[in-house]
Amino acid sequence: MFNRELVKGSTSLLVLQLLNERDMYGYELVKEMAMRSDHHFQIKEGTLYPALHKLEKQEYIDYYWENREKGPARKYYCITSQGKEILDERTNEWHRYVQVMNNLIRRNES
Amino acid sequence: MTLKDQRFFLELSEEIGNHPDKQEILADYEMHVFEMLQEESIDDQNLYSELVKRLGTPQEIAQIWKQETIITPKRTQWLFVIINAGIFIGGALLTLSYNIFHWNWAELIWENLINIPFIIMLLYIMFWGLIGYEIGKEFGHGGYRLMQKTFLFSIVPNILLMYLIIFKIIPYTWFQPLLSFRFIVVCIVFTAFLYPVSMVGYRWGKKVSV
Repeated sequence: MFNRELVKGSTSLLVLQLLNERDMYGYELVKEMAMRSDHHFQIKEGTLYPALHKLEKQEYIDYYWENREKGPARKYYCITSQGKEILDERTNEWHRYVQVMNNLIRRNES
Repeated sequence: MTLKDQRFFLELSEEIGNHPDKQEILADYEMHVFEMLQEESIDDQNLYSELVKRLGTPQEIAQIWKQETIITPKRTQWLFVIINAGIFIGGALLTLSYNIFHWNWAELIWENLINIPFIIMLLYIMFWGLIGYEIGKEFGHGGYRLMQKTFLFSIVPNILLMYLIIFKIIPYTWFQPLLSFRFIVVCIVFTAFLYPVSMVGYRWGKKVSV
């Protein structure tokens, strides 16, 4: 498990990343995050919905309802073009940051 | 819904109080728990504690939503409009205190302020940049119209003061020796410059909105 603040700060970015691949519902997002990180990245599930609400307010994601044969309709979230734009910017920044940090850490280790 | 998750949702409903989106918020969590129970085998006896462990306590969840309602577009807009109006009201009171009542403290502040007009202008430009930055950071792309509206409402005192000075409704002598023709031109150019400054702040804030 990672530092709580680090996880909290990356949740929105991860949500955008997952929605960039396909539309998902809330529970699916949590499951996908846990699965892809070998359960190292587990957010408090209750914090996901305020994060989704904020992204919606920022017009980075949108939602639609999909009816099912069995069970109640599901609320699917999807990324908007503005969401894709900010995701591109932030992931580039993130890659640069990781690269610089790796270089620095390796230099300190050697 | 079982008795155990009913307890969770009753507590959550109570803690959320009068949140404007209360019904949608509860529906999101109910759906989440429904999906969870469909896909995972969770013992009914431990359901409440499992929900608390996975989702957080109803109090913790409600707290996050309450914090979210503190920053609304309307509140943000009026906060900046009021701060800018406050700066003008403060300036007007100081001008009156200095020119009409000749109070010592007002003279002291006045003398110090007229020596640093460009520092005041710089700080004021930063304030307009901050308007854009805060809106961009909180509301992201969705804050663009809010930024424009906030700018329009906030700029009213600036335009009003400019009008009063240019048409000499306020005596020029009140602002001597500051109010030269050159200074008025600088002020007009500077006011026109405030919108691009707010936009730069907004774009910068937007970058850190996620």
